[in-house]
Amino acid sequence: MRALYEQFESQAADAFEELVSRPSFGVLLARSAENVAALSRIGSDVADLMLRNLRVAGRADVTRLARQLHRTEDKLERLLQEVEGLRDELARERSVNGSQPSEADAAAKLTRGAS
Amino acid sequence: MSTIETLARLPRATLEFANVILTTPDAQIGPSPREVVWTHRNTTLYRYRSSDRKHAVPVLLVFALINRPEIFDLRQDNSFVQFLVAEGFDVFLVDWGVPDDEDSEMGLAEYVCDELHWAVRETLRAAGEEELTLLGWCIGGTLCAMYCALHPVGEVRNAVLLTTPIDPSESLYARWVGHDDFDVDLIAERWPAVPGVGIDFANKLMKPVSNYLTTYRRLFQSILDGADPRVSYQAMAKWVADNPPFPARAYREWITWMYKENRLVAGRLCLRDERIDLSRIEQNLLVVTARADHIAPPGGTVGLLDLVSSADVTYWDRPSGHIGLMAGSQAKHEIWPDLAEWLRERSGP
Repeated sequence: MRALYEQFESQAADAFEELVSRPSFGVLLARSAENVAALSRIGSDVADLMLRNLRVAGRADVTRLARQLHRTEDKLERLLQEVEGLRDELARERSVNGSQPSEADAAAKLTRGAS
Repeated sequence: MSTIETLARLPRATLEFANVILTTPDAQIGPSPREVVWTHRNTTLYRYRSSDRKHAVPVLLVFALINRPEIFDLRQDNSFVQFLVAEGFDVFLVDWGVPDDEDSEMGLAEYVCDELHWAVRETLRAAGEEELTLLGWCIGGTLCAMYCALHPVGEVRNAVLLTTPIDPSESLYARWVGHDDFDVDLIAERWPAVPGVGIDFANKLMKPVSNYLTTYRRLFQSILDGADPRVSYQAMAKWVADNPPFPARAYREWITWMYKENRLVAGRLCLRDERIDLSRIEQNLLVVTARADHIAPPGGTVGLLDLVSSADVTYWDRPSGHIGLMAGSQAKHEIWPDLAEWLRERSGP
């Protein structure tokens, strides 16, 4: 009985894999994805409009704020990398000149997460 | 087992089956201790320290954008991370995080030229080394290949690409999204972060009976037969169900450049005005494909072997699936030791 069922399941698996590999299935999938995307967007826009009319921050407002935070974080990251580069350069120069490593050199070896 | 015995076991097996399914979200994955080395936006770089570090060159693990990287550290006693750490490697992992609407402008250039580049930089700083090994899996492998092509000399000594799409023109995905009827711009405009659940649905639809029926039937069968598949099933099922959204720009670029226009293999893909020329890859290269991989079939990867300039190129084709290759029950006995051996030979000071 089990062997018979497994044989049926295996044949069904092959048949469905054949079905989904057809170009027409790709078109069907594309249309379905577009429809779901459109419905989701309409629902999201309506919900956002309702919240805005209630003077409550909606998704769009949160997204806008988060983008501003991201831009600040990007600038901070680039700044930190510049500082680290300068620290490394200073440490290299000092080691070439034979001077003792300073606290700044030790700090340069620390990882960002640790510092 | 007799029919009567089977019938007698049926109620308990049914209850146990339901319990395994319902408690899957409570399963623990990613058990290894780790520390945060660096964060930027959603990206986090983790370090798994080895108490017995034997190899100078650290390993940086890079996974795809559409699933979580915990697959590298799935569960106790079945963790690639733990295996590498035990072998004496200093292991780092890039976690792309969970993007949301505000990340809609994250494109492939941001991932390769910023996030990955900075993760490489921070890995080397933390490890105190000049070179590392990049180990990419799935889309993570493609991002690593792009990175290696952009930086052929310098930080990356070894590149390991696992089930990596390079020329996906013959894949099932290409048949679904590569044609003109699939309007990727419309999807990307309407979803600032394309829901991961939709991408997961498409992945499962490639083998609908296997994913929606056979998996559960086998689970039930093994419980009925007296086995205890709870731990292994739940860890994998929880990981499979955790699908972060795909930032709209990255999604649009991935579908258009890889599946509609097949730019990478043709050398026409540019990130920030710099062309990705795969022939510039000079690192020691290991490419691994899986024979039963329906997401990134071997035929879509092997073309890379003829394109790269690396003097040291190794290729393995293994009899498993896209994820089973590294996370299947046999992985720790088969591919992990081989990978460690390959890395060991190329990770000296």
